[in-house]
Amino acid sequence: MSESRLSEPTDAGISASEIMETVPGALIILDINLNIKFANRAFYQTFRTCSSETEGCHIYELGNRQWDIPALRTLLENVIPNRKSVEGFEVEHDFPFIGHRTMLVNARKIVRRGQHGSILLAIDDVSEERAARDDSKRAWQLTQSIVDTIRDPLVVLDADMTIVKSNRAFLTIFAISEAETRGRRVSELGQHQWDVPALRELMERVLPENKPIESFEIEDNFPGLGRRVFNLNARKISQPGNHSHRMLLVFEDITDRKQREQDVQCLTNEISHRIKNNLQLIVGLINFEARSTDQPNAQGYRAMQARIMAIAQLYDLISQSSRGGAISVGSYLGEIAKTISASLLGESSNIKIEVDSERLDIDPDRAVPFGLLVNELATNAIKHAFPNGVGSIHLRVEQVDRQIELTVTDDGIGMRGRNPIGLPEKRGFDYVTIFVRQLGGVILPSRPAPTGTTVRISLPLLMEGSTN
Amino acid sequence: MAVILIVEDDVFIRDLAELIIQEAGHETLLASDVAEALLILNTPQTIDLLFTDIYLKKLVNGGLELAQHAIKIRPSLPVLYTTGNIISEDMKKLFVKFSKFLSKPYTLLQLRESFQVLLKN
Repeated sequence: MSESRLSEPTDAGISASEIMETVPGALIILDINLNIKFANRAFYQTFRTCSSETEGCHIYELGNRQWDIPALRTLLENVIPNRKSVEGFEVEHDFPFIGHRTMLVNARKIVRRGQHGSILLAIDDVSEERAARDDSKRAWQLTQSIVDTIRDPLVVLDADMTIVKSNRAFLTIFAISEAETRGRRVSELGQHQWDVPALRELMERVLPENKPIESFEIEDNFPGLGRRVFNLNARKISQPGNHSHRMLLVFEDITDRKQREQDVQCLTNEISHRIKNNLQLIVGLINFEARSTDQPNAQGYRAMQARIMAIAQLYDLISQSSRGGAISVGSYLGEIAKTISASLLGESSNIKIEVDSERLDIDPDRAVPFGLLVNELATNAIKHAFPNGVGSIHLRVEQVDRQIELTVTDDGIGMRGRNPIGLPEKRGFDYVTIFVRQLGGVILPSRPAPTGTTVRISLPLLMEGSTN
Repeated sequence: MAVILIVEDDVFIRDLAELIIQEAGHETLLASDVAEALLILNTPQTIDLLFTDIYLKKLVNGGLELAQHAIKIRPSLPVLYTTGNIISEDMKKLFVKFSKFLSKPYTLLQLRESFQVLLKN
């Protein structure tokens, strides 16, 4: 096929050379002796050469023999003579100017009647794809070696939920071989302990919705392990270099942690049981004393009983809200308000307690006197401020510089015109003074108000660095 | 006047409860654990109300289990539970139908009111 023939229009009115120039991949045509008859623009651009250096040149001589590549020789001298066409023949070579290249070569023998044949070579430069694939492979190998060092058992799942990789910890703990896990679903493993519909449903949402699974707990008997509790966490992972996604499923054995939590709970229950029984005994004894004494003293006994009940309730609130650490003042006040409402007011009461607190914490040691202080002030208000049974009490805590300010306000009858000495609430206020002193605070002068009573108390921060 | 079965493992609390309940005009029967209580429940003795601690001699939910057994023997028996421990939602689900809960420490007034509500039904 001569260049003039290449320029002749085909039946479609387009010449072969025009087609070859339009194709984005590199194309060359060799004669039977492997001399280059034609190369397209893409070939020149990819391999940084030109037609004057190329056409008529023997392929192996091209560019200071840089195309004299053993793999290409194999293709041209051994494969092509025996076959009409070859596809995807991979040739790797270091070119002096353009560096290392990986090419996929498609070759086709073209024979026209009465002419010597030609060879059409389509050369696809796949260097970047191959480099990306190699990078991906290396990254995946690195990931696998990291996965193997992780002490928690884990598996990597493919999009179809089958296991691609299990780490060493998984294989060891569940006494299973890599071959037994690969290609199987997690739900099929062992004695189907992981075959839980809720888990399956969550797993099916991890990849399409990118919705991780956090702490899905499964407790079961595992062969060789006995009764165990596992926390399952799963998330979507993207494999570098391609667009496929996989799922990392980690099995955290929390059996010992759960056991410790249960032990702590048992101990807490036991201590709580004893404390409350002792308080019950004290309350019961006070009850008897109150019944065999005259009325003014009996009132004192009943007030004492109420304060012991308050301590018991605060103990519960502290156990529930802190679990041994700091207690949020806001939620603590909220619980105190609920408890006072339930024990002194009832659901149908027209006296309401509102809580408003900044985000502050209190340590458990100081929570009891603080709770008793709030309890005393709120109880005083409930008992004395609302003779007609209607009103509201506002409990507020805010930080003012390095102090916190507790304000208890009611919209009741107030203290104006009444001498507090000798009033029943005087005794309660004595307790307030004691609790304030215990907390290292001071009672601030109240601002005059047309109605109601306001008590403002300044206290040191209830916990160092407590502001959130 | 009603007959009340008191189940409490702490002897002082049990005796104190007995005194309070007797002074309120009721008759009392005493048991210190689930087994003793079931022995009494299985007799023809009249019992109008079961007043049981929940935490009974290391059985964290002993009182809850006792009440479940008790209503199999006496289906309409009202139950007043008490404990000093915090009651979880799961525990509340185990309460029998005719029941109330009283947190320790409780006062005489609270105890009387609870009895009244349960015995009225």
